[in-house]
Amino acid sequence: MLNNVFQKALRDQWRSLLSWGLGLVVLAVIMAAFYPSISSMTSINQYFEELPKNMMQMFIGTEIIDYTSPVGYFSTELFSFMVPLLFLIYGVGLGTAVIAGEEDRGTLDFLLANPVPRWRVVIDKFGVILVSMIALAVVFWAGLAISVAAINIEISLLKLAEATLGALLVAMVFAAFSLFLGCLKGNRSVSLGVSGGLAVLTYFLNTLGSIVNGLKDYRFLSPFYHYMEPNTLKNGIDPGHTMVLVGLILVFFIASIPVFQRRDIAV
Amino acid sequence: MNSNIMINTANLTKYYGKRLGIQDVNLVVQPGEVFGYLGPNGAGKTTTIRTLLDFIRPTSGSATIFGMDIKHNSVTIHRRIGYLPGELELYGNLTGEELLIFLGKLRGGVEWKYVKELAARFDCDLPRRIKGLSHGNKQKLGILQAFMHKPELLILDEPTNGLDPLMQHEFYHLLDEIKKDGRTVFLSSHILPEVEKICDRVAMIRQGKIVTVDTIENLKARAVRKLEIHFARDIPKDKFIGITGVRDIVVLGNLLTCSVTGSLDVLVKAVAQFEVIDIVSNEPTLEDIFLAYYEDKHDVK
Repeated sequence: MLNNVFQKALRDQWRSLLSWGLGLVVLAVIMAAFYPSISSMTSINQYFEELPKNMMQMFIGTEIIDYTSPVGYFSTELFSFMVPLLFLIYGVGLGTAVIAGEEDRGTLDFLLANPVPRWRVVIDKFGVILVSMIALAVVFWAGLAISVAAINIEISLLKLAEATLGALLVAMVFAAFSLFLGCLKGNRSVSLGVSGGLAVLTYFLNTLGSIVNGLKDYRFLSPFYHYMEPNTLKNGIDPGHTMVLVGLILVFFIASIPVFQRRDIAV
Repeated sequence: MNSNIMINTANLTKYYGKRLGIQDVNLVVQPGEVFGYLGPNGAGKTTTIRTLLDFIRPTSGSATIFGMDIKHNSVTIHRRIGYLPGELELYGNLTGEELLIFLGKLRGGVEWKYVKELAARFDCDLPRRIKGLSHGNKQKLGILQAFMHKPELLILDEPTNGLDPLMQHEFYHLLDEIKKDGRTVFLSSHILPEVEKICDRVAMIRQGKIVTVDTIENLKARAVRKLEIHFARDIPKDKFIGITGVRDIVVLGNLLTCSVTGSLDVLVKAVAQFEVIDIVSNEPTLEDIFLAYYEDKHDVK
């Protein structure tokens, strides 16, 4: 597992990936286990109906859905906030660690003294982010699918996979952005802080945009808009919005290479 | 032939924003020599080395290694050099062995028998996790990874930093072997006796500028030594005036102090006329030598 930069970085990531995966599986199991008792509580829908419509939209989504249905429940409890958030924290942490983290620790010097071009280091490190994130998403989906099947909840496993993919993509956008910042500046706190800040900002741009008229036209700027708007768990993957997210990931990844190639490495 | 030259820098200059790193550094390192790069901390030694390795880009000027441009051919150059960073930070989560395997793989494989041999010589605890190693033991791993693929050129930033005297000795021994192989070493140091001991030629750098490039013999010849000679009885000052290379003579009763440049022979013969109790020789500090060179420069003006 130490044949190249990619394998070494993946190996460094192994333990963290395992504990995150375990945590997400536990989350999936608990959420699925609670569903049967929720589904019988029809009064909950009434409670939601009494909430102001704007608040509903902000926290649950544009479409008014039946909270006690499996799609409504899992959309609200997992996919509208919790899962993309957890993926995002993991992804930004990793995107920051691979270049800026190594540079802060001072190990980048003797790594780059080897006959390995800088662009290759960036590609390998991006590969590790991608593979780790996919692994995390697959583990989470598998945990959820098994729990859902075991409890006999009527929901499409494919749609769950599609929604998980959406959460993965929106998190990857910010992970790739933190990689880009690391390649640009090589400072861990900048990379972490700016990516995290931007995630919070664009999240609220999307949610507030759904209720504030002035912001409505700018929602498309938020990656979360492209994740939330299609309501993937109900409708399946939307090719247009998905392409936007994939495009953003590619742009940040590709832009990372020339900025890293060009700049001075800090001691 | 130009491509025979190992390192060649032409007015290499690096500014960090407005702060000067190095200015107009011109160095030529010939094949087979051990070239010392001597200067106090913060003089620009590490800046020069990190520029040569293409970690930082020169503000102006250029440099070649093996006749190839350092920026455009950095990967090819890196394949043929061994590098030891000045502030060595290794992957703490790996063991020494894992680190060397990883770096060996990045270089397309190394002769593991030689790695083992080096590890034994430097008494490296390879199975131990790097996180728990002392500074000196990390430095030994740093030396191993620089030497293990038998590079043509070694660029070493303060290589003996943190090594105990025994290991320093082993390191000097290793350098001798490298030299016998006809390989080239460029090393930085802020310790004059070390450079005297192992280098053929020396460049001295101070505040980002090269002060002089010279052979060790010439350097020694120009080195100013401060002597204190204690005599049994009071001595006359005039017996010592006018000896070549002896300056700043002060006589206080039975004590004589002076500065000597070059050979001590004539002075020692003059001193021998009297009964001597003790001779204290203070080795010149780096700063003394720099000052000597600076004074010379001003004299020429």
